[in-house]
Amino acid sequence: MAAVRPRFGRALLRLFAVQGSYNYERMLGLGVGVAEEPLLRGLPADGPVSPYRAAVARGAHFFNAHPYLAGLAVGAAARAEHDGAPPDLIERLRGALCGPLGSIGDRLIWAGWLPLLSGLTLAAISLGAGWTAVVAFLVVYNVGHVALRWWALRAGWEHGVRVAAALHHPLLQRGTALVGPAMACAVGLALPLTAQYLAAPFGAWARAVLAVGAVLGFLALHWLPGRLTGLRLGLGFAALALVVGWVWR
Amino acid sequence: MSLEGWLALLGWGTLVGVDLVSLPQMMIARPLVAGTVAGAILGDVQTGLKLGVVFELLQYDILPVGAVRYPEYGPATVAAVATAHAAAGALGLGLGAVVGLVTGLVGGISLHVLRRVNSRIVSAASVALESGDPRVLLRMHVGGLLRDVLRAALVTALGLAFAWTVPPALTGVLSPRGAIVLAVAAVAAALAAGAGGTIRLVGRGPNLAWFAAGLGGGIVIAVWLR
Repeated sequence: MAAVRPRFGRALLRLFAVQGSYNYERMLGLGVGVAEEPLLRGLPADGPVSPYRAAVARGAHFFNAHPYLAGLAVGAAARAEHDGAPPDLIERLRGALCGPLGSIGDRLIWAGWLPLLSGLTLAAISLGAGWTAVVAFLVVYNVGHVALRWWALRAGWEHGVRVAAALHHPLLQRGTALVGPAMACAVGLALPLTAQYLAAPFGAWARAVLAVGAVLGFLALHWLPGRLTGLRLGLGFAALALVVGWVWR
Repeated sequence: MSLEGWLALLGWGTLVGVDLVSLPQMMIARPLVAGTVAGAILGDVQTGLKLGVVFELLQYDILPVGAVRYPEYGPATVAAVATAHAAAGALGLGLGAVVGLVTGLVGGISLHVLRRVNSRIVSAASVALESGDPRVLLRMHVGGLLRDVLRAALVTALGLAFAWTVPPALTGVLSPRGAIVLAVAAVAAALAAGAGGTIRLVGRGPNLAWFAAGLGGGIVIAVWLR
């Protein structure tokens, strides 16, 4: 590989907008291509069919994964382009990364880190912490968020076509194993405290109605998965309450 | 509320809407954050926190994996807080939740429409994209971003229009008791959605025991604090 100075900073900044042109045709593809482009500078760029242009076009093909881990594919594909890997190998590499990066990211972030901190914040607010809990949530969440994006980009570049090795990093393996139970415990803790916080202004009869409504709503959501969502339940309950409130003056 | 207040809420709701998917996903789109800041803008942090908690629980019903369609609760929470602040008193929480739910529904539809529009534009430009010209790629991408900014602004504006018109229209219709029923219904739906979403997230594996332990601890603390 020729000596190149990868522009990680610019690529990282662009990765924050990786879903900016999200669409059903290429999913994150365009965003990944835009983030990869600074790392491709240094490839021969003379003429309309240069290696640089071919790599930019490949970078914008279909791609779908967790946005925080997309940097792994960006770094790996850019490094593979500089290493002179065959185009079909790079396409296969990108395709092969979609599933694992989506799965790991979803478990680690959407089903782990985010609800863990959200649950702790709900509990803290319910216990009277106020807006400081929200500030703490933002700071702690984004320390993990930015660190993960940075690590993914660097690890992708470091490993190139052997990027699968990065997926075995303890950060991902142990992190995914630990964050699930922590999330479950935190949200479990938050639910009764939040119920008490929200029910505080209500009188006895209203609390009884609240308890019955919450249990019935939970059972309805449990028995009708897919057909009944939280939004539909909320709109249904609100419509019923408006009728009851209008009649029962 | 002053014009400056409405404009500040519109700006904040737009930022929140863009953060959800496009830029930078730092979770200001979470209802807890969106609601608290909206409350601070209105000088009513407590209302912002309360509506933020209600919509955060509703958010647990959503796992944003793949191209799944879901309601957008960020700008919805901003509109909900504006409504609750305008209605004030017992009427606030329930009316705010109703306005927020409708705004969330519209926001979710707008996300789907935007993605379909983006798909058509990308499809039409596929030959240009295959040329590998980075300026074409950047223009397409920035275009998508700007469309999302416009979408978020429109959704927030619609939510704020509800916040402006709904409280005066319903204040005379609902009795204080009716307002409490509405608030109870909103909180019940939020708690049900929060619990249901969490159970789906936790599953039936070993995490269920951790959830039960947390739930037990939460109940003990709640009883102790009464």
